[in-house]
Amino acid sequence: MTTSHPSRLLIVDDEVQIRRLLRVALEAENYEVHEAASGQLGLSEAAGVHPDGVVLDLGLPDLDGREVLRRLREWSQVPVLVLTVRDGEEDKIAALDAGADDYLTKPFSRRELLARLRAVLRRTQPSSEETIVRFSDVEIDFAARIVRRAGTEVKLTAKEYDLLRYLAQHRGRVVTHQQILRELWGANAEDSTHYLRVYMTHLRQKLEPEPRAPKFLQTESGVGYRLVDS
Amino acid sequence: MADTRPALDPPPVPPSGWEEYAFSLLVIVVVTAASLILPESYYLSVGLIYLLAIILLCLRVGRGPVLLAGVLGAFAWEYIFIPPHFSFAINSLQDSLLFGTYFVVSLVVGQLTAQIRAQSQNDRLREQRATALLHLTRALAEAKTLDEAVGAALRQTDELFGAQTSLALTDETYASLFPHPASSYSLEGKERATAEWVFRHQSNAGRFTDTPQASAGCYLPLVCDNKTHGVLGVKVRPDVTLTLAQKDLLEAFARQLALSVEREHLRAASEREKLLAESEKLHRALFDSVSHELRTPLAIINASADSLAGADQNLRGQLVNELRTAVRRLNRLVGNLLNQSRLESGTLKPRLDWCDAGDIVNAAVENTSDALAGHPLAIAVPEDMPPVRADFTLTEYVLANLLLNAANHTPPATPVFLAAGLEPGGRRMFFTVADRGPGFSPAMRGRLFKKFIQDDATATAGLGLGLSIVRGFVVAQGGEVVAGENPGGGALITVYLPHPPPKAGTQA
Repeated sequence: MTTSHPSRLLIVDDEVQIRRLLRVALEAENYEVHEAASGQLGLSEAAGVHPDGVVLDLGLPDLDGREVLRRLREWSQVPVLVLTVRDGEEDKIAALDAGADDYLTKPFSRRELLARLRAVLRRTQPSSEETIVRFSDVEIDFAARIVRRAGTEVKLTAKEYDLLRYLAQHRGRVVTHQQILRELWGANAEDSTHYLRVYMTHLRQKLEPEPRAPKFLQTESGVGYRLVDS
Repeated sequence: MADTRPALDPPPVPPSGWEEYAFSLLVIVVVTAASLILPESYYLSVGLIYLLAIILLCLRVGRGPVLLAGVLGAFAWEYIFIPPHFSFAINSLQDSLLFGTYFVVSLVVGQLTAQIRAQSQNDRLREQRATALLHLTRALAEAKTLDEAVGAALRQTDELFGAQTSLALTDETYASLFPHPASSYSLEGKERATAEWVFRHQSNAGRFTDTPQASAGCYLPLVCDNKTHGVLGVKVRPDVTLTLAQKDLLEAFARQLALSVEREHLRAASEREKLLAESEKLHRALFDSVSHELRTPLAIINASADSLAGADQNLRGQLVNELRTAVRRLNRLVGNLLNQSRLESGTLKPRLDWCDAGDIVNAAVENTSDALAGHPLAIAVPEDMPPVRADFTLTEYVLANLLLNAANHTPPATPVFLAAGLEPGGRRMFFTVADRGPGFSPAMRGRLFKKFIQDDATATAGLGLGLSIVRGFVVAQGGEVVAGENPGGGALITVYLPHPPPKAGTQA
């Protein structure tokens, strides 16, 4: 990432080795890195340096990561990427519900970390008002409500288009089933995941090069979906 | 009175009631009256008639009434029939001899009767006692648990003595008494105090014993091998007493019960010992394999990091790959250990939701791609497979573990198959993982899904936790796992999950 002014990141993790490794990886990408070793320190640091993004470990010694997130969200909409050691999807969903933008499970790779960070930081950047999103050979024109694949228009039903648009608006980031269901079907349809599966299968059949092994419309185990654009 | 009498026939020889005496009197009166119609010269025969009546009486009444009849008969005969009539005088020597003989015979008959009756009474009692003990022994032997045995014994005691019974047992420390739930009255206050006294002194106390206490019940210690295993309490109604034979029987019951409790204690002790040895063995196996499984990837990481420093570009790439593989392996191991403890702690709650079976398959394949490298993988999921109801993460884990097993236990470059689908009828969905490896030996098949089980012949890697977790996760979702033979050779494991119809009514 080579923007004119470097993005300021705050890392909140009690493990000094993790902080050191993250600093090396992120500074190599021209981020400006600040560190905090506990939840309390993290909150005061966030208030002090006004970071563009926060990398927050959920397993902190003083405060539960989710509590840090809750307090942070009381006054800040800064993008937050959560680090967790557990594969259990409950923790991830809980963190996302509490206001996290995305999560990474330890151990994670540098590539994943950078991709996730770029995606969550995009949320607050002015360029997110774009009207055309491209991934693979697919092009989505929000203004005209048209989806093209390799230049030819793809016929999508209204619901399929809404689903694709929602994922594209959050591309690179995870969206939970509940978020999609609330957005597309309203507040009372949170157990209609059956339909969601069917629409996703249709979308993949229409847009993925290999629908059985999707590369772009990815499933996040037990949590939701993620549109990966690279 | 009959209804308050305990069920076991109480006194050995019941004292004759006034009815029996009256009956004897009546018989003598009738015989006397009947004999009056005989001519006077028949007075010798009348004596024999009296004797016959007395012998017949023996069959019906006890010693007292027989003796009464004998005496009455003698005097009636002498007074009325033996000349001179209506006087107690006897004229001839022959009459005197007859009278004397008659008198002695009736006395002896009375005595013999009593003995015979007592004898048969005893026999009956002994038989009842033997039957009761037999029933008790059988009930104790048939019971599968101590609680069941004790329950059966107490109910039998209730019934036999027409009483309420209470039992308190002690534990391994022999320090205090714990009332048993099968008791039909609770040990409280004075009853409890007496029971405690009995427990400490190893001797009977309470009603019907040499050590009467303030309690209403009678308490017997359950002694076996000089150890008191508990106290048996019996409470009968205040107006009822226990006979000697009943007390005897009660003591026999207590001895049987003590034996049974002791046997159970011994069994439990040997069970504990076996369990302890088993868990120690398991501990050692776990310790060995965990340290091996943890240390191997750590050694690889360490060696790779060391070599990285001076490595050229080409070697560097290889080393980084080794590092990544080692880390993935470690990560999976830790995951398995955590999942096993999740299963064992019982905190596992599947989150069932509609999932795309293909998604689950893809996720599992992606997570195991490094371990499966070199094995051609054939995936078969029907195009039109409807969403299935499952916990995505758990099922992904199940498939990943099955794939890893297939990769680890088969020769390199042999194919691995993964299929999903609906059973005919559509009530269940299945995932099948098959390989062309050595398959399962018959000995393995039975214990395949137990933890820390490794096929010794093919043991290569892993803790032997994989299949135990697979089964745990599948069962948690209401499914089942079946291990079988792949037609044409190799192992085949099928996971079945329930496939309920989607809820109707929600709008599309």
